[in-house]
Order: sequence, then structure tokens, then C-alpha cells
Amino acid sequence: MANEILEEQISGEYKYGFVTDIEADSAPKGLNEDIIRFISKKKNEPEWMLEYRMKAFRYWLTLEEPHWAHVSYQKPDFQDIIYYSAPKPKVQLNSLDEVDPELLKTFEKLGISIEEQKRLSGVESRIAVDIVMDSVSVKTTFKETLSEKGIVFCSFGEAVQEHPELIKKYMGSVVPYTDNFYAALNSAVFTDGSFCYIPKGVRCPMELSTYFRINASGTGQFERTLIIADDDAYVSYLEGCTAPMRDENQLHAAVVEIVTHKNAEVKYSTVQNWYPGDKNGKGGIFNFVTKRGICLEDNSKISWTQVETGSAVTWKYPSVILKGDNSVGEFYSVAVTNNYQQADTGTKMMHLGKNTRSTIISKGISAGFSNNSYRGLVRIAKGASNARNFSQCDSLLMGDKCGAHTFPYIEIKDKSAIVEHEATTSKIGEDQLFYCKSRGIDNEKAIGLIVNGYCKEVLNKLPMEFAVEAQKLLAVSLEGSVG
Amino acid sequence: METLAKISTTENILKLIEGSAVPSWMGIAQQRSALDAFSLVGIPNRKSEEYKYVNIELLLKGNFSLSGFDKITNQQLETAAFLKDAILIVVENGVYNKTHSSSSLPKGLEIVDISEASSNTIFQEHFAKYAAINSDPFIALNTALALGGVFVHVAKNAVIETPIHIIHLSSISENTILNYRNLIVLEENAQLTLIESYEKIDSSAKLFGNALTEIVVAASAIVDHYKIQDEGDSGNLISTTQVIQKKQSNFSTHVFTLSGLMVRNNLTIVLDDQHIETQLNGLYITNGNQVVDNHTLVDHRKPNCNSTELYKGIIEDKSSATFNGKIYVRKDAQKTNAFQSNKNILLSDDGTINTKPQLEIYADDVKCSHGTSTGKLDEDKIFYLRARGISEASAKKLLMHAFASEVVDTVKVEALKEYIEANISKRFE
Repeated sequence: MANEILEEQISGEYKYGFVTDIEADSAPKGLNEDIIRFISKKKNEPEWMLEYRMKAFRYWLTLEEPHWAHVSYQKPDFQDIIYYSAPKPKVQLNSLDEVDPELLKTFEKLGISIEEQKRLSGVESRIAVDIVMDSVSVKTTFKETLSEKGIVFCSFGEAVQEHPELIKKYMGSVVPYTDNFYAALNSAVFTDGSFCYIPKGVRCPMELSTYFRINASGTGQFERTLIIADDDAYVSYLEGCTAPMRDENQLHAAVVEIVTHKNAEVKYSTVQNWYPGDKNGKGGIFNFVTKRGICLEDNSKISWTQVETGSAVTWKYPSVILKGDNSVGEFYSVAVTNNYQQADTGTKMMHLGKNTRSTIISKGISAGFSNNSYRGLVRIAKGASNARNFSQCDSLLMGDKCGAHTFPYIEIKDKSAIVEHEATTSKIGEDQLFYCKSRGIDNEKAIGLIVNGYCKEVLNKLPMEFAVEAQKLLAVSLEGSVG
Repeated sequence: METLAKISTTENILKLIEGSAVPSWMGIAQQRSALDAFSLVGIPNRKSEEYKYVNIELLLKGNFSLSGFDKITNQQLETAAFLKDAILIVVENGVYNKTHSSSSLPKGLEIVDISEASSNTIFQEHFAKYAAINSDPFIALNTALALGGVFVHVAKNAVIETPIHIIHLSSISENTILNYRNLIVLEENAQLTLIESYEKIDSSAKLFGNALTEIVVAASAIVDHYKIQDEGDSGNLISTTQVIQKKQSNFSTHVFTLSGLMVRNNLTIVLDDQHIETQLNGLYITNGNQVVDNHTLVDHRKPNCNSTELYKGIIEDKSSATFNGKIYVRKDAQKTNAFQSNKNILLSDDGTINTKPQLEIYADDVKCSHGTSTGKLDEDKIFYLRARGISEASAKKLLMHAFASEVVDTVKVEALKEYIEANISKRFE
């Protein structure tokens, strides 16, 4: 029974797999200093930016690709990737009407439909969206509304032009280009991304959101996001990802940096639904992302929430450096893998300041032939007195050909620390299923119910608009995966 | 730089081996391939994932010998034999000392010098079959260099009531690397209580011990295994235990690390059939500059097995303790129950605790969990006791005792339990 339903699910097609036919303006394949100069020139960047890219590139050349994660895949050929691809009509756009209708259709298919959101909520929309397609930010909505409050929300490229002092000050301060292989690569070839600055004392009145999409074939997407919350500021930031169906693997190596000053709070939510490859594990996105935030000053807070359902291979460890006293770090994650997907994801909580607190809730669900790992680090540095951490990592297995793994690292150097970690692995209880079914709830709905209940702690942390989408996504990814 | 250092420590050791007389009882071919396996990996440095929390290269800096031994006196031996009622086996400086070991053995029990066992068919069947030379450099090094040890065989249906106590006692006059190994084989339905203790005669010379014990537990056999590690401030010990369990067998192990500058335990238990029970218990109480690193791997290969693991530690001064527990549940191992728990108390600002409880699970119908917690002594409990007129110092002692007793209480040999308790009390003074 279980197998039949699983089959059914497996044969379900990736519903975001379509290609938008817009003539792309792209760089030739390959990676060398000329390509980096080309990208930099295309973006009309100042000299210091190019220098930064070059430094990163030269450092990257000295590095070897890491292989410690619990995943196996064909190493990407870095000379076989297009590092810059922009949808052609890239004139400055003022309203949605000027956007290429093909593009708009793409977004409608994605189900995010800015049109609809605009219609529904009128001028007072609760979400401002920055859309990054392949390598270039296409459209940022509600820029004016935001700028009245002094909030800067624009593409990274624009920020380099208009706010160079902020970029110079913060870029690379949390994830330096020396951090790791993919962070170095990203620093050398990143093409665009989002930039967000919330000034002192401002509470951002709406959710800020970025949608990423890889479109052109053979393209890598290397975006960079930088979020800065100044003293007493608050922002909730959403990120969504999709990509079309392709036979070959595509590389996505992003860097996200978050900085919070005194009493500031940033809430970062992701729904990652890149193309996971077909049921035989062919194609799909390699999602190698470095995400890190720093609670730079006292009483600040960074919270990561992620729902990971896509990508063929995921490496992702959104982390928080708790530097300021009394700062708080949170990580809430649901990671679902099916078919031949592989995910190695988790977090790092580095406690440096006094009275810092962190919470980690990770829910892994594996089905099909997939492997799903939690890998996390909790480090309490010497002198980080009264640090407190609680971690919980639960795994749910569906079928006997998948794997669920937990690799927590806990390093404690302060006696006043209290650190707890617990993990469980199990399958959906027969009794729970029986309970639902005996009350007339069919198998699929019962599983949906149980899985949603299992993930509730995390889903509750998502902003309203995202929670609905995430729940649907979970249902689509898993319905009928177990009997 | 890192690689340079790695090459030099390993090369130093290889050079030392070349210039020394190496025993040949294991068979030159086997020893040669083990040495090849060792030189391929070398002494692990801190970049090696399995040895990242213990700096072995640093411990092996300087000059070492393979034969810097002193004779052990009768009196020293008597002190080391702390259990009155036990079958005594003395392994002196890595070699079986028959004259000091018990001579009258119960029926079904056979004890042979491992270096003279090569003609024994059971020995041939099991020796070096479980500890794989390419899985760990110290297993390889041991398989190339082991001086001696014992081969213990318990016949089918034999129940050995008296515990066996293997005393590994070393006395050295210069810095020495010492390799020795034991093979314990239990036939079907056999029962054995096995105590292995590790001690060093006090001297300033550094001992780097590399001990290996392979234990074969046949169907329905029961083994109760203990390790007491107490080599003092100049003893470094790599202690590898490789266990294979067959159908319906029961193996429980208890590791007590009482002293030692560096102690690294590599404990691997393979559950190779159905309906197996396994218990792992460990207690480490560290102070000074001690480094204690416990690695355990429970490999569930077949369905319907249970394993339970409990490791506890109290860390003081500048010492550091590591726990890395792996539970591996293979694809076929449905209906597995595997539980793991690691609890630590950190008493000082300079101490370090690293813990990495790890689950790798490939079967869906299983119940697996692990938990770990690290904290200080509960303020409320201290307050409760103090409010009843108990001094702060005694209250803390009492609480530490209570914390440790969960592991100590699993000891089934009464005399051994008393010995451990007395040792722990001394530590808390």
C-alpha cells in the first residue's frame, strides 16, 4: 500500500518546471579573471568592488572543494557554467506594466503573482518583493513606500551604486571571502541579490521578500543578500526560490549576511523549492549556500526559519554569531527530501557574549531514496557566561530506502553554560494513522495532518503569507508517502 | 605546515620501527600490510575528523622508544591486583606473565599467551578478523607491532562464575610506545565477566599505550565487560575495543576513566544478528590537564536488536572531555531500538566539553533517540541541602556522587564497585 502511494507521489511532476523564453544577455561559459571583469563592467561597478572580486577569485583558486558533508554528487565543472545571465529587457522599470509580460507570466505560474498581491491589498500591501531572475534583480516593488521611512530595499547592484559606504562597511564582515570554497566563489562572481538597510528605531511596516529563479540553462546563480538592522530596528524578510526542470545539474551558491545592532531584530524566512531533479535523481539544483548573521551589539536577535523541500543536493547552515550580550539566536527548520534528494543542513550557534540564548528546532523528513542530515554546531566560548542553548532534532522516515542522520557538535568552554540536545528518529506511528482513519479521515489526509502536526513548531514561526504556501508545499511533497 | 608536521611525526615513528626489533608472532606478511596501512594514514592530526579534539601529534613529539621497560616487582603487582576474588591474568609491559597469573582455571576456560596461540584453530579463525587495519591508524600500528597479550577462550555452555581480571601493568624508564592486544572468544551459551585494568608504575617517563581487545560473543553468550583506566599523569592510552555479537547474545561494557594524561577509547560493537542486547556505560572524571576522548560506534546490522548507551562526565580544571557516540542502523535493521545519552557537568572556567552524539539511520521502522546535556550543579539542589545544614562543599560532593552513581550502579561485581566508589570519593576530596 505504502509503496503504491509512494509511486504515485514520485511520479508527480515538479510543477514549477517551465522555462521562460526571454532572450538572455549572458557571458560565455567559463571562469577566469576576464569573466569577472566582464561581470563587474556589466554591473558598472566601481574599482573597489572589482578589486574585492579579484581578491576573492585569487583566493578561491587556492582552495579545494570541501567533501565532508554527508552527500555524494558529481562535482560541478566550474568552467562549464555561465556566470552571468540577465533577462534582456533590463531597462529601469517604474511600474509593473512595463515588465515583460513573459516575465509576469512566469511569476504568475510561480504562484506569487505580484499582480494579485497588488490587487488584493491595494497600495497598502504587506509585502514588498524584490525579484531576482537568473543573475539580475528584475523588479523591486514598494520602493517608494519604504524609502519614506528611510528603509533601503533594493537590488545589491543598485546598492553598490547608491550606498557604497554601507556596502564597503558591511559586505564580507559576517561571511568573509576566505570563509569557505563557495563563499569565495560567490564573492568573486556574484551578480546580484538584495540589499536591505533598516535605519535606527524603524520597524519595517511590511514583510520584505525576494524571489529567486534560475532560468537560462547552464547558468549558475550566485546572489548575495545583505541585511542590516540598525539600533532598535526590526524587519521580517522572506526568501523564495524556484527553478525550471533541466537534465543537467545547476549550481546555486549564495551568500546571505545579516547584521543586527543594539536591540535590533531580524527574522529571516526561506521557502526553498529549487528543482529537485526527476524521480531517477537526474538534474536538479546544487544548493550550496552560506548564510550567517551576527548579533553585533547587545540585546539583538536573529531568527532563521526555513522550509527546504527542493534542490538535488543542499548544503546549508544558517548560523548566528551571538556577540552582543543578551543576544538571541533562533533556528527553525523543516527539511523534506524525496526520491534521490540529499540534504545536509543545520545551523551554528556561536555564543560569545554574556547571557546569550539560542534555540534550535529541526525537523527532517526523508522519503524515497533520499538522505537527510542535520549537522549543527553549538559553541560556548570561554567567558560567555550564562549561555543557554536548547536543540531538538527530530527525523521522520518514510520507506526503508531512505536515511536520516544527525551530526550535532557541541563544544563548551564555560562552566555556567546550560546546553541540551535531543534527537529522535521514528516513522509515522501506526496508531496515529489508525486513529485518524477510524474517524473517516483518508490515508493521505491523515499523513498530511500528522506531518503538519510534526512540523507545527517550525511552521508556526513563518509569517502568515508564507505559512500557507509552506503547508501546501509539504502536502505536495509528501502526500501519501507512507502507509 | 600542517602536512609537514604530520609527515614528520609519522616518519619519526616509522624510522623508530625500522631501527627496532619487532616481534614476529603475528606473521610478517600481515604485519607488513598493517604497517603499510598505517603509513598511508599516519598519526592523525587535528584536521582529521575522528581525532579533532585530541592532539596526538603533540603527545608523540620528542623521542620515543619501543622497549624502554623496567622489571615489575612482586609488590607492585600485588597492589595492581585490587580484586581479591578473581582469575588473575598479568600482562607486564605488554607481555603475558604466566608465573604471576592464576594457574588453576575452571573447566571450559583456556588462557594462552597470544604470541604462542598461532597453531590454535579457534585463534586462527578469529584473530585480527574484526579490527580492520584500514579503519584506524592505531589498529594498523597495533597489528604491526603488538608485543603480546592473551588469548582467552570460553568453551560452549561454560559459565565462568569468577571474574577474569586482566591487569595491564607497565613500568618504563624512558618515553615508550607500547603495543599489546588480547583476543577473547566466547562460544555459544558461554558466560564471562571480564575486567581489564590499565595501570602504570609512577615515573616521569611518558607512556604511549596502544591497547587493542577483540571480543567475539557467539550466539546466546553473555559477557559483562569492564575497563578501569588508571595510568596516572604520565600515561597516554589509546584503548580500542572491537566487539562482534551473534544471535541472542548479550554484551554490556563499562568504561571507567579514573586517570591518565590522555585517554582515547575507540569502542566498536557490531550487532551481527537478530535479538541482540547491548549496553554501553561510561564514566570519566577529569582534572588537571587531562584529555579524555570516548568514541563509540554501535553498528546495528540486523533487525530486532536493542542497544542502550549512557556516558557521564565531570570535568574540572583545564581538562577536556569528548564524547562522540555513533549509532548506525543499516537498511535491514528494522525494529531496532537504540538509545544514547551523554551528560556532563563542567566545574571550571578552563575546562572544555565536546560532545557529538551521532545517528545514521537507514531503516524506517526503528526507535532511535539521543540526548545530551551539559550544565553546572543545580543551584536549587545545593540550596536545598545547605538549608538543611550541609556545608556547600559537602553538598556539591554529594551531588557529584549522585550524578556518578547512575553509572557506578551498573557495575555487577560488588568488589569492583567498591573499588571504583573508593576511587571516586578520593577524587572528590
